[in-house]
Amino acid sequence: MGQIISQSFAVIAMNLRSIPRRIWMSLAMVFASAVVVAILLAFLAMVKGFETTLSSAGSNDVAIFMRGGSGAELNSTVTREQVNLLEVAPALFKIDDKPVLSAELYVIVDGIKKTTQTEANIPLRGLDIDGTKLRSGFQLIEGRMFEPGTNELIVGAGILREFDGFDLNQEVRFGKYSWKVVGVFSTGGNVFESELWSDAKVIQSLYNRGSSFQSVRAKMDSPASLTELQTYIENEPRLNLDVKAESAYFAEQGSSLSYMAIFGRVISMIMALGAIAGALNTMYTSVADRSREIATLRAIGFSNISAFIGTIIEALVLAALGGVIGALAAYLLFDGLHASTLGGSFTQVVFSFRLSTELFIQGLNMALMIGLISGFFPAWRAAKMPVMVAFQNGH
Amino acid sequence: MNDLYLIFKNLTRKKLRFFLTCFAIFIAFLLFGAVMALKGALDSGIEMSADNRLVTVHKTNFTQPLPYAYVNKVKNIEGVKDVTHANWFGGYQGDPTRNQIITFAVDPESYLDVYSELSTEPQHKQNWLKNRAGALVGERLAQANNWKVGDQIPISSNIFSHKDGGQTWEFIIEGIFSAEDKQTDTNYMIFHYKYFMETQSWGGDYVGWLVLTTTDAGFNEAVAKRIDEGFTNSQAETDTSTEKAFNKAFIEQMGNIGLIIFSVIFMAFFTILVLVGNTMVLAIRERTGEIAVLKTLGFPSLRIFKMVIMESLFLSFAGGLLGIAAAYLAVAGLSEMLARFLPNLILGAEIIIQALIYMTLLGLVTGIIPAINALRLNIITGFSRG
Repeated sequence: MGQIISQSFAVIAMNLRSIPRRIWMSLAMVFASAVVVAILLAFLAMVKGFETTLSSAGSNDVAIFMRGGSGAELNSTVTREQVNLLEVAPALFKIDDKPVLSAELYVIVDGIKKTTQTEANIPLRGLDIDGTKLRSGFQLIEGRMFEPGTNELIVGAGILREFDGFDLNQEVRFGKYSWKVVGVFSTGGNVFESELWSDAKVIQSLYNRGSSFQSVRAKMDSPASLTELQTYIENEPRLNLDVKAESAYFAEQGSSLSYMAIFGRVISMIMALGAIAGALNTMYTSVADRSREIATLRAIGFSNISAFIGTIIEALVLAALGGVIGALAAYLLFDGLHASTLGGSFTQVVFSFRLSTELFIQGLNMALMIGLISGFFPAWRAAKMPVMVAFQNGH
Repeated sequence: MNDLYLIFKNLTRKKLRFFLTCFAIFIAFLLFGAVMALKGALDSGIEMSADNRLVTVHKTNFTQPLPYAYVNKVKNIEGVKDVTHANWFGGYQGDPTRNQIITFAVDPESYLDVYSELSTEPQHKQNWLKNRAGALVGERLAQANNWKVGDQIPISSNIFSHKDGGQTWEFIIEGIFSAEDKQTDTNYMIFHYKYFMETQSWGGDYVGWLVLTTTDAGFNEAVAKRIDEGFTNSQAETDTSTEKAFNKAFIEQMGNIGLIIFSVIFMAFFTILVLVGNTMVLAIRERTGEIAVLKTLGFPSLRIFKMVIMESLFLSFAGGLLGIAAAYLAVAGLSEMLARFLPNLILGAEIIIQALIYMTLLGLVTGIIPAINALRLNIITGFSRG
């Protein structure tokens, strides 16, 4: 056993040192493996970034109420009467006997995207001070809060980054009405930063919403209070609402790009097949190139297992090298890349691509799989090569 | 022994390598075909828009409604041929997030005038115009759900409530509309606006947006200006653009995601070509000695040059044609499966022509270096190198 190991090490070292002889074929394999890994990671980083932006927005002790069956805030309506009923709901967290509850609505307005200079949907959300308390991590990074009852708004950091014309103290026009940007806020990078915030009552009156809202958020005593709230709603016929934990709501919304992950995996699997075909070529060339060495080693008593291991390790090293290069390239090119797309509320979600360690490992696994498959068959040939034939092949 | 036989023998001397190289090319073109078809499907809204069709929406955003009175006001504007309007119904069946049924409430007659590319059997059209609770369903949508004329279908709305309670409307399919061009979107259904307004609990008389045709595409800009100026300072200011511009802006809302994805995949496509090219160049270089033999035997250099080029072209087309054929089959299969999400998935002639161009380029580029080497090869060095 010890002999096999020491023989294998000798062969591995020999193989690796002989790579410069077939440098182009070997580089081709490294390159192919790198491209497959980079593509896989590009897709996964996009989906991961989008998911994180949404899921980090929801907290599990905030309940969100929307009209039954509406699925998203966009389609929902909640009347003033329903809001009043919710204010006396049980199991809500109270300060000075008043629940921390925020009735909200939004209008979709047009903003000009910096990248394309085209119009895109942005939510102009109406809420009040309690609403900002329900967003953990909310902080004004510039300017001040909007004054209730006026045409003032504060802009999320993501909107500021991706859209033109929302700088501090600027006048913004949406249709007939003009607004003043008085502050910039951050919520720690999550989806709320893709919004404009202003006073709910002003929005109701300017956009003909009467006294209606679209959603109600409220802080619960604990995540477990959700069932109590559900019972309360079921027993009150005037409340035809659905209640969810905010975290569950955003997890649902965050999965809307998951088809991209599937697409990315399929594409990179197909690409991997192509890469394996190329890598097999490389490895068969390697075995042919080394056939005289293999024969010599066999003739002086090296086992065929060492020839097998030597070849398969060569393949794994080349593929893994490619995998690391691909992952690094993906990291440099994509990590932190800003993008925005339509989210579940029919408005832009500004997010960044995110490469996590877990994704790196997935990429490397892909590379090792390419190496293993493309090394196995040539290694088999190397191990089975009759010594005489090998000498002939090598002239 | 003719040249073709020689080329064939050269290609298949190492059968495994021939197969592997072909396979890599096959994969490259399979991906190319499939991804181009996908891109085409996403862009089809822009391609299929009519030149003289304009869309008028609320200036704040197209999700804001417009007063119904705008329909007649716009109709009287000079240069406007037909006007119709539509409301988003938010339709679905079963699970509201998974099984969306794109449904619009429209003015029946004018809708079919404005979207003149949509055709339906005259009798069915008459029946639909007469039946206020009837719906006209697009061919793709009908196929995806196995719906036939005469079926009664319950469609729920995630926005509106029926005034009789619940959120579900029962429609009778009176007809199915289709379009000659396969990329025209028919993955939706339409029903009577009046019926919608009377049956939904909020009532009101507003429309989602207007679609109109101009008497001549040359008037588009002037007409758009006239419409928007007519409503300045009113309660609902408007924004009118060509259908093409509107659709393009809508697709761009998906954002640079599409751009990133497609550029990544095209990068991958070209990488595969580079890698395969590398293998092909090496494969021919191995044969320097043989080429020297051919020259010694009196083969003219030009003939050898052609043979080498032919060989790499042949290899490129062998893999490429199979790849694009497989992509064609895959797209045909997927387009049925994905009819609900991506109704316009088609691998058309344009994509095939592009693929053929890339195959030729691949063959020429990979063949040209070894071919020139062969052309210039001095017999003596050829033998000594071999």
